[in-house]
This record gives sequence, C-alpha cells and structure tokens, in this order.
Amino acid sequence: MPKRIAIVEDDPSIRANYADVLKRHGYEVSAYANRREAMAAFATRLPDLAILDIGLADEIDGGFALCRELRAMSATLPIIFLTARDSDFDTVSGLRLGADDYLTKDMSLPHLLARISALFRRADLAREAPQTEDLLDRGNLALDMKRFAVTWGGQPVDLTLTEFWIVHSLARHPGHVKSRDQLMSDAHIVVDDSTITSHVKRIRRKFAATDPAFDSIDTLYGMGYRWKSA
Amino acid sequence: MPPPARLVPRFGLRAKVLVVALVLLAIPLAGWSYLKEVERVLRAGQEHSVIATSRAVATALHDRPKLLDLRARTEEAADEGAMPLPGGVRPVAPDSRAASEEILLIVQGLGRSSGRIWVVDRKLNLLAIAGGLKRIEPAPQPESAWDRFVTAPLRPFLERVLARPTEDFDDALPEAAIAGGRDVASALDGVPASRWRHTPDGRAAIVSAAHPIWHGEQVIGAVVVEETANAIQSLSSDALERLVTVTLVAFLIGGLTLLLFASRMSGRLRRLRDEAEAAIDSQGRIRRLITGTRAHDEIGDLSRSFSTALERIAQYNAHLESLASRLSHELRTPIAVVRSSLDNLRMQLPPDEARVYLDRANDGLARLTTLLTRMSEATRLEQTVREAERERFDAHAVAAGCVAGYATVYPAQRFEFVAPDVPVEIDGSPDLFAQMLDKLAANAADFSVPGAPIRVALGRRGSEAVLTMTNSGPPLAPEIAGRLFETMVSARKDAGAEPHLGLGLYIVRLIAKFHRGTARAASLPDGTGVVVTVVFPLAGA
Repeated sequence: MPKRIAIVEDDPSIRANYADVLKRHGYEVSAYANRREAMAAFATRLPDLAILDIGLADEIDGGFALCRELRAMSATLPIIFLTARDSDFDTVSGLRLGADDYLTKDMSLPHLLARISALFRRADLAREAPQTEDLLDRGNLALDMKRFAVTWGGQPVDLTLTEFWIVHSLARHPGHVKSRDQLMSDAHIVVDDSTITSHVKRIRRKFAATDPAFDSIDTLYGMGYRWKSA
Repeated sequence: MPPPARLVPRFGLRAKVLVVALVLLAIPLAGWSYLKEVERVLRAGQEHSVIATSRAVATALHDRPKLLDLRARTEEAADEGAMPLPGGVRPVAPDSRAASEEILLIVQGLGRSSGRIWVVDRKLNLLAIAGGLKRIEPAPQPESAWDRFVTAPLRPFLERVLARPTEDFDDALPEAAIAGGRDVASALDGVPASRWRHTPDGRAAIVSAAHPIWHGEQVIGAVVVEETANAIQSLSSDALERLVTVTLVAFLIGGLTLLLFASRMSGRLRRLRDEAEAAIDSQGRIRRLITGTRAHDEIGDLSRSFSTALERIAQYNAHLESLASRLSHELRTPIAVVRSSLDNLRMQLPPDEARVYLDRANDGLARLTTLLTRMSEATRLEQTVREAERERFDAHAVAAGCVAGYATVYPAQRFEFVAPDVPVEIDGSPDLFAQMLDKLAANAADFSVPGAPIRVALGRRGSEAVLTMTNSGPPLAPEIAGRLFETMVSARKDAGAEPHLGLGLYIVRLIAKFHRGTARAASLPDGTGVVVTVVFPLAGA
C-alpha cells in the first residue's frame, strides 16, 4: 500500500511540481492550498508524512499552527517544513514545534526524495530492534544508520535528519577535520557557512542536554569541525 | 572629500560684513557736509550782522559833515609831512583831536567787544578806530565724562585733523586793507559792501563790511566794521570734533557689534558644517543626526533641513540594507518553481539533446542559488549578531587556526600569520570572529597577486586589539574606498566565475561592530596593495 503524503503549499506551481514528482515515485499525494482545507482532510484521515509551507496565503505562520495541530494528533507522524524562510528564528521555531526537518525551497527534488524515504524508514523501523550491522559505535555515541536514531551513553538523542547526517559525517572518521562544505554535501543541503555553524551549535546543545560534559565536537576555526577520537 | 585647491583668497563672512559696514561711512560724510553748510549759513549771518552794524554806525554819522569836514580840512595839512605809523594807521592831527574824539565816542558807543570799527573819509584818511579783533577766550568748561574718557585720548589725533581757530593772530590794520579794500572803495562810491579776507599772517579769517556816510546826496566817508570768523569757526570745529569722536565711537561699537554678530553667525555655520561632515562617517553610516537646533532663523532652518535630509539618507540606507534579504526571500519561491520543474523534467528521462539544456538551466539556477545564499547570509548574520551570546575568547588562537586553514582553502595564495605569541582576549563570539577572518581572507585572496604572500597580523595596542590583513595587488580606487564596507558595494571590476554582491566586507563591518570595533580599508602608501584594519577593545578594557 503506497505511503500517503500531504503537501500544504500555497503556490500552485510548486504544489503541482512536488505532487507530480512524489506521485512518480509511487507515493499517494494529496495537496492542499491552505490550512483549512488541510485540517478538514486531516480530521478524517492522517497522512503518513506531511510537507508544510510556513506562510500559507493569508496566514503568515499558518504552517506552524498546522504543525502544532498535527503533532497533537500524532506524536510519530513525520513532518517536514519546506519554506522560503531561512532565518534561524524560523528554523528553531519549526523544529521546536516537533517538525522532523526544516528545509528551504532551494532543496533539489532528489534531495527531498532522499529525505522523505529516510524519514519513512525511520518511522517504519522505530519499533523494531536495532540490528548490529547498521550500527556505528564511537564510544558513547551509537548511530543507527537504518533508523537514523542516535544514542549517547545509551540515552536517545533526538536529532533531525540534517543533524543526524552531520553527526554521521563527523563521527565516521573521528579525528578527521570536516570542512563546512563537506558537511553540507554529506547532509544533502545547500546553505551558507553560518547555517552549518548553527546546526553544529544545535547538535552540541542536544547532546549536552543528555550529558552536560559532552565536548566531542571540536571547532577548528578556518577549517571546520572534528569528532574527537575517544 | 578634500577641499578643492583655493586659487582665490578666501574672504570669511566676518570680513564681508565689515566691508559692507563701510557703507556706514556715508553717515559721517553727510554730517561733515551738513556742518560745512551750517558754517556757511552762520558766516552769511555774521556778514549780515556786520553789514547791519556798519549801517548803524553810518546812520549815526550821516549828515554830520562838520566832523568829517573838519577832519578833511586838517588832513590836507597833515598830508605832506606825516609818516604812516606802523599798522598803517595815520596819525591824527592835534587840531582835529576834538572832532576825532567825538567820532571815536560815537563809534565806541556802538562798538562791540569782538569787532573793530573804523571810519575813513573820502580820501581814505583814518578818522577813528575802536574795538579789537581779538576775542577774550572763553573760560574752559568743566570736563564732562565724555570729554575725559573719549575726547581726551583722541585729542592728539583730533588736533592734527581739525584746524582750531586761534586768537593768536596779527590784528594790525594794514594800509592795503584800507586803501585796497573793495568794500571801502565800493562804500565810497555809495554802495555798501562786504568782503572776506585773511589776516596778514593768514591765521584768521576776517569779514568786513563798509557803509557809506552820507551828507545829503554826497558820500563824505565810510564806516568799516570788521570781525573775525573765529566764533563761528570755533563753534564749527567743536561740532566737528564731536562729530568725529561720536563717529569714531559709534564705529567702534558698531564694528564690534557687527564683528560679534558675524563671528557668531560664522561660528554657527561652521558648527553646522562640521556636524554635517561628521554625520556621515568614512564607512558611509549615518553616525549621528545633527541636533536640530531650535533657533528660529535661517540657520536653524538649514540645520533642521539637514537633519531631515540625513534622516532620509539613513532610512534609504536601511532600506538598501534590507533589500538584499527581502529580495532573497521573494526570489526563493519562483526559483523553487523553476527548480522543481527542472527536476521533474529530468526525471522523465529526456532525450540527450534536451539534457544539455537542462544542464545549462541547472548551472544558471545553481548560480542564482549561490547569490541568494550570499544575500541571505548577510541578513542571517545581522540576526545572529543581534542574538549572539558573548564569551571571552583568545583571538590569537582563532586567527592562528583560521590562517592555517586558508592554506587548503586558497592553494594559490600564501598566507603569513604575524603575531606575538601572547593571548589576545576579546569579548565576543569566536565563530563570528572566524567568519570575519574568512571574509577578509576571501577578499584578500581575490585581489592579491597570485603567489604573493597575504599577511595577517594580530597585535595589542594599548587596550585594543589590532588585526590587519595585507595583500599585494591593485590599490583601492579612491571613489570607492570610503564605501567598501557598505552593503552591495564591490571594487571588483571583472565578473569572475563566482557571483559577487559586495557583501563580504559588509559582513566584516557587522562582526567588527558586534565586537565593538571598527573596520577600515586603505591602500598601502606605496600603492602596491591594500590593508584592511580591524580594531576592537580587549576584554575587560
């Protein structure tokens, strides 16, 4: 049974383009132009994944409200923000509302598809036992490559996909310096340097919430970042 | 901007006002000519009064031929042997003494203290003379405060300029005055006349009037009344003296007032100019609006309109600075349409010929995206700077790491790090500091001569940290030097493969400002390169 994806986007061209490509990749797509339409549909049946724009026609923050309501309906439903707004403030707000990823609209469709399938995989495998062959162990850190799940000292750390890919890129070769450009390509995003800086800052904060002594990510000014070899 | 070379000498406002004030010289000039006019009228009046006196004396002598006949008779006898006395007064014969004394009595009775009256007969024999030309000098008036403090200091100057009448003159009655006087001749012909002459030594002017003495239809003699013009002259010179002193004092006061006024005016204008110049700093920022003065005059208006204009420039600058972020935001949606359409097209496995165009479209799109990313970078940074937390960090360690990293980022350039091995602790954000260095390095690498070293120096100077990045290459164009740190200003002439928006140094400025520092760029003195200097306060300073 095909996965159902809901797109809420006020621009008809983008909406149609996304719907087309997703359909072509075997998903069942329902597209909505505004929050009311979307909520009416979600009330009868929840999709398997939701792609939300933040500004919806007359509602500047309609996407945020929608995300809040969806999250209230389901704690596990993968939600992706796909928006033109790229300020740190919006990113943080979106992720805090429980979105699984926050992407800007210059994301290419193949990248988007990769993320969608990764998110589906993560949702599907969430309840299954981890399989050792897909695990990356670096001391306290354990990365489950199949489910995109991270633990630190056995405690789960809730990372977005982008953050997971950044951590993976760093931890795969501890002690090696990864430049921001490398991190960008590993995380399948095209952003500016300072966005990577804020991603790393958020990752550090999330690990520090689990373990205040966390300091495994080194900043090498002018070069990039490095995972400390334990 | 340097002031243009001055080819003409500069006249300040003060000099101009003073030159204009010279117009006021017309007032004392008018006063002087008025005084001269009054003096003329007074002299005419004196002439009339002298004529009147002579007529009165003549009236007393009319039709008394005995007095004059007697005189005439004795005179003929005395004519031969008599020597003229000094002063030209002829001796009076003893036998005519009685008649002479009678005339003298009459004349003396009519005489005035300041005038001289004499009587001649037809043959110009002096029959009687009374009075004198010299006046008794008036007792000096008690000095007023005005005289003491104003006139007295000016006296030497005044005396040189103004001729005061003197009583020290030769008052002799020369023969020529009697015999050659037109007035006497005219009186003896029966017509009263008057004339002005000078004393023989030229020190005083004398007005004389002659009136015929009639006996019936016949002129038997003439009365001549003389007076000096000293009374009038001293009046007029007193008045002139007052005019000069008053004018001088008025000029002094007026000039000082004008000077003060002009000084205040030019001072206010200068202050306004300085403020207007300082309002826009070398980085093109509106630093501080002119304190709109409350003066209700034209300078106040000027200052206010300057303020308004500067405020508009500030608004316009703010608008320009926000333009990049607004543009990047607005462009993102249409780009998403293009990108998703292209991606869709590609996924439909188009024929190879179409792929070429797809690739080109993608290249263009990639460049557009880079531009957008750069544009939003500045905006994002503005936001980051607003929200960034400050910590104390060692700029030396950050800079050393960054410079080491540039070797891999810019393989074509050689970076040198010159810094004493001491920590340079500043308050701020190491990430932002590194980002600033990145922008400076990118800028230096773009302009540097390939292979030439780019020097990064970090040091302490007093309570400040000084970071310089020096690259060899073309010097800064002067017209752009002051604006380099503004948003969307770029000195790049050739459009390289990488799109440039001129936001790099703007970001440098933002970060320098976050660290309470300043950034500026200058050409090297020998014109072989450019040095960018960023100065910030050390932590705790």
